[in-house]
Amino acid sequence: MVRNQDRYGSTLFFILTLIPIILLVGISAALVVKTLPLLREHSLLELLGGTTWKPMKGLFGFLPFIASTFWVTILAVLIAVPPCILTAIYLAEYANKTVRSIMKPILDLLAAIPSVIYGVWGMLVIVPWVQNKVIPFAKSFPNGFPLLVSDNPTGFSMLAGSIVLAVMVAPFIIAVTNEVMVAVPVGIKQASLALGATRWETIKRVVIPSTLPGLLASVVLGFSRALGETMAVLMVVGNVVQMPRSILDAAYPLPALIANNYGEMMSIPMYDAALMGAALILLVIILILNVASTLILRRLMGRVRRAW
Amino acid sequence: MKSRLFVALLVIGMLLTACKPAAGQETIAVSGAFALYPMMQVWAEKYQAANPSVQFDVSAGGAGKGMTDALSGAVDIGMVSRDISADEEAQGAYFVPVVIDAVFPTISDQNPVKDILMSKGINQETFTKLFITGEYKTWGDVVGDPSITDEVHVYTRSDACGAADTWAKYLGGKQEDLLGIGVGSDPALLDAVIKDPLGIGYNNLNYAFDITTGKNVTGSLVAPIDVNADGSASEDEVLLSTSEAVDAVASGKYPSPPARKLNLVTNGKPEGAVKDFIIWILTEGQQYVNQSGYILLTEADVTAALGKVK
Repeated sequence: MVRNQDRYGSTLFFILTLIPIILLVGISAALVVKTLPLLREHSLLELLGGTTWKPMKGLFGFLPFIASTFWVTILAVLIAVPPCILTAIYLAEYANKTVRSIMKPILDLLAAIPSVIYGVWGMLVIVPWVQNKVIPFAKSFPNGFPLLVSDNPTGFSMLAGSIVLAVMVAPFIIAVTNEVMVAVPVGIKQASLALGATRWETIKRVVIPSTLPGLLASVVLGFSRALGETMAVLMVVGNVVQMPRSILDAAYPLPALIANNYGEMMSIPMYDAALMGAALILLVIILILNVASTLILRRLMGRVRRAW
Repeated sequence: MKSRLFVALLVIGMLLTACKPAAGQETIAVSGAFALYPMMQVWAEKYQAANPSVQFDVSAGGAGKGMTDALSGAVDIGMVSRDISADEEAQGAYFVPVVIDAVFPTISDQNPVKDILMSKGINQETFTKLFITGEYKTWGDVVGDPSITDEVHVYTRSDACGAADTWAKYLGGKQEDLLGIGVGSDPALLDAVIKDPLGIGYNNLNYAFDITTGKNVTGSLVAPIDVNADGSASEDEVLLSTSEAVDAVASGKYPSPPARKLNLVTNGKPEGAVKDFIIWILTEGQQYVNQSGYILLTEADVTAALGKVK
């Protein structure tokens, strides 16, 4: 009886474990099937390399959306990573128990705030700030400051989107980085301190090198979260179909494209196929990123273990 | 063990009864455009009060959702706030206009040239040069005074919607042809215009005017459309209140588009309870249109629509 329970139990658990794989395959297959009408009429090169988006005229260039997605995401990660890593170092190595016990729940809370609230905050605070402070600053350079030249007069811009995103992914980056830093064996830190190294030298020479894979993992986690974030970005990024050239230009990331149009246009076959195509592109980008980061992580992990 | 089985059966029993409709009841399921949702809720409530045997299930999810649901049979009626495309008609979409809504150009009441705009109005060609071709960059271009160099900040809707579709149609394009910074909803677009003295956008009747006061929403103005392009905004082109706007649209003085008919869509010609309901909307139901913030169809439109249903 008990043995049977074990056997059925493990079979059941195995089936449940398979569900994520089935889901991934199922979702991919569904997206491919739904995109087929589009792929039949347009070459992949035309779709991925085209810059004109006029679905009603049969022009489906996804490049502005793909470029926007990467611009906004990379900018957000660039803004978020340095302060987040320093915060994590402080929390793991310097902060006393009281600071830690206050900061941890606050960071958890930040991570739990619905993205639409971040979007509203972005519209109320960040967009006017960009419009009234950053744009005049950028215009104060007579020859134009690189990456700040734009004819977008409003604060609805990639910069606004990236700032909102950076704040959103910060709790995740800090939490993961902090976890891996706390996990560094006390012994090797003590050994470094015993050799006369200062705390900062220990952090620089011992803690950071041995947590490099973890740091990378936290950045990748932040990156993939930022890549797919929809609501908050959509509200502040301007949603203009163009190839962005400056961080003050408006952009139009893939998730926003789907969210803005699906409810209205799903009944028009080619438009529907194009939006499914956008979803498929997003899925493929995320898959490639995750597989690549897993491979790099494994390699780095191996190197760190050998070093220990 | 036995008690647990009993509880399980009880739960299953409850779930089954919950799903079963009461005898003699008919449910009409409606989904679709946000623009028609508040109107449909009023109609559903009034109709149900008069016909207790009919139940309603009304949800909003966008015009495309309403169309898809109606064509697939997931709902009986789809609400569609934009033009029905040829693709959709080919799939069997049968549409009946039930009410009129209109889109109005909006500016901030802090606009530097607001007095000139309110007295001269803006004609269709100027709007086209702002929203479609982008030839006009400054408010000086708009009012014809090169000494004014304030940039025009054009705002549009980022989400596919009937309002943008209609506004674009007025200017000879599709939503995808509209220039400007995309903002995600009717109220957010108006908010962006109110906050930006150099902004211009467009809003549906219910958002361009304050429902409680019946006037322009505080901080914004409806820019007069110079319909006859005579270079001055006549009295019936300046719209300062809901009632003036409704009259201008109903009398045909306000152009169409940007006024537009909102449609109900069924898969093929409506029948049975759905047909009765749509006929009721086009007759008795019309008395609730004005108080809900929409504009009545003309009598000719109603007659034509009834002809399509009957």
